[in-house]
Amino acid sequence: MSDKSFSPKILGFLCNWCCYAAADAAGVSRFQYPPNLRTVRVMCTGRVDPSFILKGFLEGADAIFTGG
Amino acid sequence: MGKTIKQREGAVMIVGGGIAGIQAALDMTELGYYVYLVEKAPAVGGVMAQLDKTFPTNDCSI
Amino acid sequence: MITNADFLALEGNPGNFTAKLNIRPRYIDADLCTACGLCTQYCPKHHVDPYNEGLSITRPIHIDYAQAVPATYYIDPSSCMYIQHETCQICVPVCQSHAIDFSQKPETRELTIGAVILSPGFGKIAPETLEKYNYGKHPDVVTAFEFERMTNASGPFLGEIKCFSDGRHPKSIAFIQCVGSRDLGCDNGYCSSVCCMYAIKEALVTKEHDPEVDITIYYMDIRTQGKDFDAARERAEAIGVKFIRAKVADVTPWENHLKLTYSTFDGQHKFDSHDMVVLSVGLESPKDAKGIAKATDIELNKYDFCQTETFSPLQTSQEGIIVAGAFQGPKDIPESGTQSSGAATLASIILKNQRGKGTESKEYPEEITVSDDEDVRIGVFVCHCGINVSSVVDCPEVAKDAGKMDNVTYYTESLYACSQDAQEQIKQTIKDQKLNRVVIAACSPRTHEPLFQETLKDAGLNRNLFEMVNIRDHCSWVHANEPEAATDKSKDLVRMGVSKAARIQPLPEQTVPVIPKALILGGGIAGMTVALSLADQGFESVLVEKSSSIGGNLQNLKNTLAGETVASFLKNLTMKVTKSPKIDVVTDAALTQSSGFIGNFNSIIESGKEKKKEQSVDHGVIVIATGGHEHRPDLYQLGKSKKVVTQKELETKLAGRAKNRAPNSIVMIQCAGSRGEDLNYCSKVCCNHAMKNILKIKEINPESQIIVLYRDIRTYGFAEDAYLDARKKGVVFIPYEVDRKPVVSTQGTKVQVDFFDSIMQEDVSMTPDLVTLSVGLVPDGTEELSKMLKLPVTSNGFFLEAHVKLRPVEAAVDGIYLCGLAHAPKPIEETIVQAQAAAAKAAIPLVKGFVTVDPIVSSVEQDDCIGCGLCTSLCPYGAIIMEKVGKKRKAKTISASCKACGICASHCPTFAISMGGFTNEQLISQIEAFGNKTVEEKVEA
Repeated sequence: MSDKSFSPKILGFLCNWCCYAAADAAGVSRFQYPPNLRTVRVMCTGRVDPSFILKGFLEGADAIFTGG
Repeated sequence: MGKTIKQREGAVMIVGGGIAGIQAALDMTELGYYVYLVEKAPAVGGVMAQLDKTFPTNDCSI
Repeated sequence: MITNADFLALEGNPGNFTAKLNIRPRYIDADLCTACGLCTQYCPKHHVDPYNEGLSITRPIHIDYAQAVPATYYIDPSSCMYIQHETCQICVPVCQSHAIDFSQKPETRELTIGAVILSPGFGKIAPETLEKYNYGKHPDVVTAFEFERMTNASGPFLGEIKCFSDGRHPKSIAFIQCVGSRDLGCDNGYCSSVCCMYAIKEALVTKEHDPEVDITIYYMDIRTQGKDFDAARERAEAIGVKFIRAKVADVTPWENHLKLTYSTFDGQHKFDSHDMVVLSVGLESPKDAKGIAKATDIELNKYDFCQTETFSPLQTSQEGIIVAGAFQGPKDIPESGTQSSGAATLASIILKNQRGKGTESKEYPEEITVSDDEDVRIGVFVCHCGINVSSVVDCPEVAKDAGKMDNVTYYTESLYACSQDAQEQIKQTIKDQKLNRVVIAACSPRTHEPLFQETLKDAGLNRNLFEMVNIRDHCSWVHANEPEAATDKSKDLVRMGVSKAARIQPLPEQTVPVIPKALILGGGIAGMTVALSLADQGFESVLVEKSSSIGGNLQNLKNTLAGETVASFLKNLTMKVTKSPKIDVVTDAALTQSSGFIGNFNSIIESGKEKKKEQSVDHGVIVIATGGHEHRPDLYQLGKSKKVVTQKELETKLAGRAKNRAPNSIVMIQCAGSRGEDLNYCSKVCCNHAMKNILKIKEINPESQIIVLYRDIRTYGFAEDAYLDARKKGVVFIPYEVDRKPVVSTQGTKVQVDFFDSIMQEDVSMTPDLVTLSVGLVPDGTEELSKMLKLPVTSNGFFLEAHVKLRPVEAAVDGIYLCGLAHAPKPIEETIVQAQAAAAKAAIPLVKGFVTVDPIVSSVEQDDCIGCGLCTSLCPYGAIIMEKVGKKRKAKTISASCKACGICASHCPTFAISMGGFTNEQLISQIEAFGNKTVEEKVEA
C-alpha cells in the first residue's frame, strides 16, 4: 500500500454534549474535513467501554477517535 | 373549526404570528393558558421563515 | 391558531376582554387539503410571489413554503380569475380531495380573552425612500430582503446570486447601510438595530458561495453590539469583506455596472463601481400600527412604534395589553424571543386565577406494545432538507441502500421530513406498514430528535423506538466538494443507524415531582424582577444577595436615558420585594453548595456578616442573576489622575451640587479597555451612558465643549435620538482607529490628551478639564458558579445560554435560567425583559408540578450486580446509590439525577448496568455495521 492511496477508516465516538455538538457546528459553519470518519453518538465518552474500541479495531478500523 | 367556540377561561389573544407571537404562544401554553394566535397572513412564521441563516452563527432558521 | 384574520376591535377590561376578528376566506377547506400541490400546477394565472420578495412567480392558488403551518393552500383573491372575473375554476375538479370551496365568505368572530399580547412585527421601508439609490429603476439595486431570498438555497434561484440585468454572477457587491433608518429624510431617526448584523451575515454567506466575490459595506457605524456579535464582524473582515466608513450620496448606472458616489468622514468624495448594490433597509413600524392603536387605545411613540417605559418595557399604556417583538422597537430574533417570554410572564400574572382552566391536555393514542419476539420492522426515511442534503448526497441511492438491509421493511425519501405534511405521512406509514422502529436520516438529533419522537408518540409507538442519522451537519455540509465520498459516508451512517435500531427497545416514560420554589441568585434589578414576577404568579422564592442590601447596580444610577428617575423606581421595587410574603430575601449571603436536578434541588446558603449561619433550601429551579460591575482598566491614567473618571463616576458627580461638576471642556474616550483590549467584547451600554451624561452636562452647562473619541457609536434603537440631540448641541464626535488610539498623559495636575483627528486629518493635543472613560462591564462570580452548577461560560466569562435564538434565557443544565449582566452586558430595559422571560421559563416546571425524565438513563440489573460499588464511586452526579436488597448490597440509579453519561455502564465488571437507548448490544451492533462496509470494500477492491 503506497502512502498516497492510504485512506484510513476511522471510527469515532462522539459525546452528545460537546464533540457531537461541535461536529454539528462544523456543519453549520461548513468547515470541510476529510470524509474518513464514521461516527457513533454516545451521551458521554464515559459510555465508551474499552471493549468498544477493541471491537472497532477488529471490525477493520485503522484508527479510533473519541471526542468528549 | 366551528363558528361558535365555547368561551374559555384563562385565554389570551396574541396578535401577530411571527417569531415573537409564536414564542409567546408556546410559553403561554406551557404555563397553562389557552392561546388564540391571530395572524393576518395564511400561515404563521412571519419574516423569520424567509430567512435562511441567522446571525452570528449562520444557523438554519427553520 | 387563527390565520388569514384581521384584528378589528377590542372591548372590556383586563381579565375580561372581547376581541373582534375578521377571518378572510382561504377558499380551501383546511380539513380536506392535503397540501399535495396539484392545484398550483394546474392554475393558469400568474401571481407575483411575496414570500420570495416578488422575485419569482407563483399562482394565485398556492402555499408560501413547504414547511408552512398550517400546511393548507390558499387562494389569493387579488389575482384569482374566478374571484375577479368569475371564469376558470380549473382547480376545482383538479383537487382530488374536493377541498376547494369558492362559497366561503369572510367570517366575523368574537373571542373572550383575559389578556392581549401584541406582536405584529415590523413594516418595510417605503420604496420612495429607496429611489435615491436607483432602486426600482436599475434591476441590480436590490433590498437586503430580496438579497436574502436570492442567497437562500430554497429561494427562487436555489441560492445562486445573479444580476437581474444580464444574469451574470456579480464579482463585486456593495452593501449600503442605514437605508431608511438614521435617516431624517424619511422621518426615521432611529436605528433599526438589525441591519449591520444581517448585512454581515449576507456578506459571509455570499463569500461562502463564491470566495472570489468582492464585498464592500458602506457604513456610518457598525453596530454589532450583541453578545459575541463583534466576533462575526471580525470574521467577515478576516475573509476580506471591506468596511468603508462613508455616506453614499447616489448610485448611477455606468456601462453595465453601478457607480457609487460617496463621501468619507474626512470630507473626500470618492467613486467606486460595483456589479450589484444591496440596500440594508431598516425596519419600520408595522403597516397597521395605527389601526392596532385605534382598536386597543394604546399610545404610539413618534415613530409609530408602541410606546413603553424603561422600567416596564413590555407594558403598553393600556392595562392588560402587552407588547412583544419589533413593534416595541426594532430588534433582532433573540431579543424578540426574550420579549415574548417576558410578555408571557406579564399575561400569566393577569390570568393567574384562571390558570389551567381553559386548556385541554394533548392525548396520545395508546402505545402499541412491541415485544421481543416480534419481527423487527424498520422504516427508513431519508430527508433531502430542501437541497441542503440532496445537492451533495445522492439521497435515492442512500435510501435504496438502506432498503437492502435486514429488517428494513420500508424506505422512502422526503423533501423536508420535518414539515407538517411529511410528519403526517410518517405517521400514516408507521400504521400502514406496521413499523416498529423508525430511522430518520436527516439533520442533527440534537435539534430534531424531540420532534420526530413526538411523531412516533402520535402514531402510537414508544418514542425510543427511533434512531436519527445525521447526513446533513456531518455529511453534506462538511463534504460539499466530495459528493461521492459524502454519499458513501451517508450510506455507512445509515447502515450503522439501522443496525442499532434493530436492537432498540421501548423505554417507559418517567416523571418526578417539582418543589414549587425558586432559588434566585443576585438581588439586583434582574433578580428582584424575577422574584416579583414569580410571586405574582403565586410561587415562592429565596433571593440570595451577596452584599448587605438589594438593589445592585441601580443604586449607583440617577436617571435613565429616557429621563425616568431611578431612585423612586428602585425604592418602590425594593419595598415590594421585601414586603412580599412569597419572597425570602437573604443578604450578605452566598451559595456554598448545590446538588440535585430540575424539580429537586438542594442548596446550602451561608449568610451573615461576622457570625456565619447556614441554611438549607429545597427548591425546584434556579435563576442566575448575579449581575456584573464596571471594569476599571489600567489605561488612560484612570486612577492616577483625579481628572480621569468613568461614566459612572461622572454620573454621580453630575447629580451632585459641586459648582464645577460640568466643566467647560471634556474629552470622552469610548471603548476604553473594551473590544480587544482587556475585554474582548462590546459592553452595549457605554455609548448610551455617554449620551445620557452628555445631555446632562449640556443641561447644566450649555457652553461646555465636549469631544467624544469613538470607534463606533452604538446608540441602537430609539437611543439614536439622543445621539442626534448631542450632535445638535455641538458635541464633536471623532472616530479613532484601533492602531491609532488616543493617548492620555499627566503633567502635574493637568491631563493631556493626544489624538489623531481623523476628520481634519491632523494630530491634536489638548488639555481638557476632565477626561471621561466609557469602560466596559464584567460579570460577577460566574467562574465559581459555573464550577458549582456545571454550567458553561463563554470565552469572555459570561454564562452561555442553551441556544442563542431558541432558548436565550435557559442554561445548558435543565432547571437553571439566566438573566441580566451575568448573561451578557445589556441596558436596564433589556435586563428587565430578560428577567421577566427567565421568570416565564422558570415558572413552566413550577406550574406543571412535575418533570419528565428522559428515559435514556442508566438502570441496574440487580440480579447481575455484585455490589462492588465501583459505579457509585465513579458517578459524577451522585446518581447511583447502594441499597440493601435482602442481605446483599446492590446498586440503584436515581433516574432524575442521572445525566446518562454511561460511565457506570462502561465500568461495571459484570455488565449489570445498561443505558437506555445506548445499550452494549446496540452500540456493538453499530460498530459491527461499521465493519461490514470495510469487508465489502475489500472484496470490491
